[in-house]
Amino acid sequence: MERAGWLFVLPLALVLATGYVWPLFQAGVNSFHLNTPEGIDLGHWTDANYAKLLDPLYQSILERTLRISLIVSAITAVLAYPVAFFIVRLKPKVQPWLILVYVSPWLVNTVVKSFGWSLLLRSNGVINTTLQHLGLIDAPLHLMLNETGVIIALVPGHFMFVLLPLWAAASGLDPNLKWAAGTLGAPPWQIFLRVTLPLTLPSLIAGLVINFTMNMTAFAAPAILGGVRARTVSFLAFQVNLEQLNWPLGGAIAVGLLVFTLAVVWSGQRLAFLAVRSGRTRP
Amino acid sequence: MMRAFNAAMIVVMLAPIVLVVWISFTPEAFFRVPLDSFSLRWYREALSYPDFVDAFVLSAKLAALAALMATALSFFAAYGLVRYRLAGRGFLLGFFTSPLVVPAVVFGIAMLQFVNRIGLYNDLIGLLIAHVVVVTPYAIRTLHATLQAVPEEMEWAAMVLGATRLRMLGRVTVPLAARGIVTAFLFCFLLSFSEVTMTIFMTGPALQTLPVRIYNYLTDRIDPTVAAVSSLVVLVSLCLVFLANLVGAFKRLPR
Repeated sequence: MERAGWLFVLPLALVLATGYVWPLFQAGVNSFHLNTPEGIDLGHWTDANYAKLLDPLYQSILERTLRISLIVSAITAVLAYPVAFFIVRLKPKVQPWLILVYVSPWLVNTVVKSFGWSLLLRSNGVINTTLQHLGLIDAPLHLMLNETGVIIALVPGHFMFVLLPLWAAASGLDPNLKWAAGTLGAPPWQIFLRVTLPLTLPSLIAGLVINFTMNMTAFAAPAILGGVRARTVSFLAFQVNLEQLNWPLGGAIAVGLLVFTLAVVWSGQRLAFLAVRSGRTRP
Repeated sequence: MMRAFNAAMIVVMLAPIVLVVWISFTPEAFFRVPLDSFSLRWYREALSYPDFVDAFVLSAKLAALAALMATALSFFAAYGLVRYRLAGRGFLLGFFTSPLVVPAVVFGIAMLQFVNRIGLYNDLIGLLIAHVVVVTPYAIRTLHATLQAVPEEMEWAAMVLGATRLRMLGRVTVPLAARGIVTAFLFCFLLSFSEVTMTIFMTGPALQTLPVRIYNYLTDRIDPTVAAVSSLVVLVSLCLVFLANLVGAFKRLPR
């Protein structure tokens, strides 16, 4: 009986083993060899590619990527709270429609979205021409081909990863708790800090983890709106793999990014777990 | 005040998409809103540009094949996981959904090096396998949940009456799980159709999907043709979301 069960599972397992595990493994193996004009030197093992990742140039690109990702996650967290609590107070029938609006940027292809942002943010784009027309600025603002452009495009692009879990947490919140805190004389900011925040913290962390890793590995938005002056890790990976054709080094970047992502996800889960526990034992 | 804030947020969410569609109707050769008049000039331009037409056909074909394969494979795998007490069920389910955690950039690099090594560079098969892997987690999650809700008694009844397991699957389980199967297919299609990061990394010049073609066009020059093509992409996505809504795919939104 069990053997028949394996027959059902096997086809997918085989496809994933050849088309998913093997390629990742192969890139990992490549990353430990040297790139030569004749191809990858599979005869000798080396950690030179990983040593090269510590190069100051690559470190500065990594720092920029981390900075952009953290800023985007922070802005998203601050903006998602009021939106989530606004949506929860609406009629249950309206809520899914509004959620769909916030999910829609994710359903639209990132290249198309980034192109739309470039039309808005360019020096002769909609925002700059409007502001100049209104006489608010004399010279166009530099809104893209720098970190600002990448941040502006990523916030709405990955917003739903934080909004959805917060919305779920907010709709499960007992309104009596806030009411009780209020009757005991707590001002709104204290209710938020002592009641709402601790109770929604696990969901916030879970959402932020996905948001952050998506920011770290986004490609189209940094490529189109950041350009060469605001290169991120994924743009660097593109240049190394497809322009320099240095696959061992490209493989090392891939392995580094994967390990980093897994570490963030793992520590995020740990943190959310601790937040749940401390939320329960709080007096 | 909350209402105004929410309205502003919605504008930020939708502004780039609305702007692309709006500007695609310009009769002029540059980007300027508001438009003086509407024209389909750039749609004609886009449809007479073979690169875009070919890419559109390729994307649609690829999305259909990948969605079909992922849904079929995931249906059987989910059935095996739900109905049999396999050793390591939890591990297998985790394995099948794990491509979700691997960043598209990382998987794209791995696929680029892999298809070159096994001689599938510029080959639809390589691209298809990659897309199946990327969309499988969504299919397996949807179908696992769907099959858990299909009562096993119905299957027993069919088998007691003499149906073979395969016949029973086709006559009982598939019809009962139809909504989940269609939902999985539509989501996989949508995701494959708009997948761009992984595809940009692994695909060769001979096999450019529509989003990749748009990206390459953008790095080269900018005219409203891109806006017209992009609007068509948005239209396809909208139609798929609408279809998914019709079959009730959003009734199980996380709450």
